[in-house]
Amino acid sequence: MATRVEARTSMNPLDYDYSSFFYSSSDDPFSILEPYNEWYNQAVPEGYYLFAQAMSTPPRGSVDLTEGLHRNHVKLVNLSSYNYLGLSYRREVIEAGKAALDKYGLGAAGSPILSGTMDVHCELENALARFKKKEAVMVFPTGYSTNVGMISALMRPGDWVIADQNAHASIVDGAILSKANVRFFRHNNPADLEKKLKQTTGKKLVAIEGVYSMDGDECPLPELVAVAKKYGARILLDEAHSAFVYGANGRGVAEKFGLEDEVDIHIGTFSKALGGQGGYVAGTQNLYNYLKGFARSRVFSCALSPVVTAGVLKALELAIAEPELRTKLWSNVAHMRGRLEEEGVDVGDSTSQIFPIMVRNDRRIFELGHKLLEAGLYLQPIIYPAVAKHRSRFRVSVSSSHTIEQLDEGVSILARVLREEGVLV
Amino acid sequence: MSTSDGFVQYHFRDAIGGFFEFPTENARAILPPELQPIEPHHGSSVLSVMAFDFHDSPVGDYGELILSILVSPRIEHGQPMPRSAFYPFRLATTTRESREHAIERWHLPHYMQDISLTWERGDGHITIHATDRGEPIVDMRVTEHEWSPVEHRYQAFMNDDEGAYTSTIVMAGQFSENEEERGGITIHSQAMTGLLEDWDVDFTPFREMWMKNGLQTFHPLQTLASYARR
Repeated sequence: MATRVEARTSMNPLDYDYSSFFYSSSDDPFSILEPYNEWYNQAVPEGYYLFAQAMSTPPRGSVDLTEGLHRNHVKLVNLSSYNYLGLSYRREVIEAGKAALDKYGLGAAGSPILSGTMDVHCELENALARFKKKEAVMVFPTGYSTNVGMISALMRPGDWVIADQNAHASIVDGAILSKANVRFFRHNNPADLEKKLKQTTGKKLVAIEGVYSMDGDECPLPELVAVAKKYGARILLDEAHSAFVYGANGRGVAEKFGLEDEVDIHIGTFSKALGGQGGYVAGTQNLYNYLKGFARSRVFSCALSPVVTAGVLKALELAIAEPELRTKLWSNVAHMRGRLEEEGVDVGDSTSQIFPIMVRNDRRIFELGHKLLEAGLYLQPIIYPAVAKHRSRFRVSVSSSHTIEQLDEGVSILARVLREEGVLV
Repeated sequence: MSTSDGFVQYHFRDAIGGFFEFPTENARAILPPELQPIEPHHGSSVLSVMAFDFHDSPVGDYGELILSILVSPRIEHGQPMPRSAFYPFRLATTTRESREHAIERWHLPHYMQDISLTWERGDGHITIHATDRGEPIVDMRVTEHEWSPVEHRYQAFMNDDEGAYTSTIVMAGQFSENEEERGGITIHSQAMTGLLEDWDVDFTPFREMWMKNGLQTFHPLQTLASYARR
């Protein structure tokens, strides 16, 4: 017979996570702050939830960082930044930004539908429309605001947004803001998409991603498109992690599968492969005209800084003019995949430049992250609720700018630490 | 076993649970308005299906099947935090004595027939078959992950014609949980589960839980003034 279990007054920080602090029992909105901070202030000094550690160099293959636990300045191999084509710090991009700073000043100083649109914004939209082979492209101030503005502009209460269960928060939040009915289908599962679509009537939008950011896996676009078309649903494809990377010309997963015309709404961002900031919607002129009036996240935001816009425009020109950047990226990806396989590292279902390094131990992931940092490798722990329980992982992002030596050093550190800690046998 | 200060203990061989998504509008239809369903995705709430194999309790050996909705816990500064909170809306037990005990002591809403619970313990998985006089109710399979000793604190919210209540429940034992989506459930068309027929419940659990050789301790029941009636 076991003895009675007494209530504990102290907590193990890892018994809780962000999702534990969504509601409180009081009528005071601030009442959640004290229990949350009680947890947070215990968790951080113990080395947990050390996010937002400040970098003091460009997001190159090697970076300087102030680590969060002891505030030490460290030099690290960087496998964490997006910057898939290494364009964020290219000399031509920096010079384009500097020239725009001289010409326009720092900011756009207005909404894009009022005084915030400058000729550089129009140049970027036109260049992107030519690249994407679409009638029109609309630029948004961030990738997040792109999906939020796009979906909430088009969908209405009573309509249906059917999204992949791993869809980005911006898709989810856009759907919530639209007040449409929302259903999620099982990740990359056309049969479950069909099951969900069968239950709906009226206007339907299927929202999917080209490559999913946490698992690095591609969507089965042909199968999903076939199901969506069967039920008369429009298709939104977010290519945040696949635009400028996938396809013979870099036009994304839709180009890879030859389905650019079947996808109704093409979403992308400038913060990944182009190393800048902002997002875009590519589609018809009619869609552009409607979004201009109804995409509130754009209408009520200041336009993208002309400095960033000019830099992104130059990065786009380079991405088009230098297909060897994609060739180098995929060569690096193949090298990384080979090295990780040699070391026996579990990379889940990845087929892209994003490799989840599956640790599958929520209790140890932060400790491992700090040991990697001490050993000279910058990787971010990713834990529930960003990913499923016990599917904690580090996320490796490979760039064309990585040298083979940097990739090899990163894998060596990773494998050594995982082996020393018993994660790799 | 009951103690003088109101704690009640139930020892079990196995307790298993699965979390299944279903549309939030169906959750809100039966939840008291003061309880907020937990949504793993916007618009999706969580149906919890749990089964216990008790071998030592104030009412002896019995099996129990519990259908609950996950709700937001009551978090208060300075108080131990619950891991999660449940609103049990339909329970069934294998004995009349255990059913009457749970209704009287914990105000838990019951299916009023003795059910049968069959446990199939396999290599790395466990399955329950719940039936009522041969009529299938629920079949559920969960799989194991890594095992570790735990002591988890939960909250349960109950209401009936007499009022609204809450109790802390502490579960201690060898515990395994995963979100590998290897388990499954079949909910049969039957009186206990009739409510679920139109709920559009996902048949794959996004989380599977299994506790072995455990102890469930109910803390004293508290009456809640805030939602005495729906």
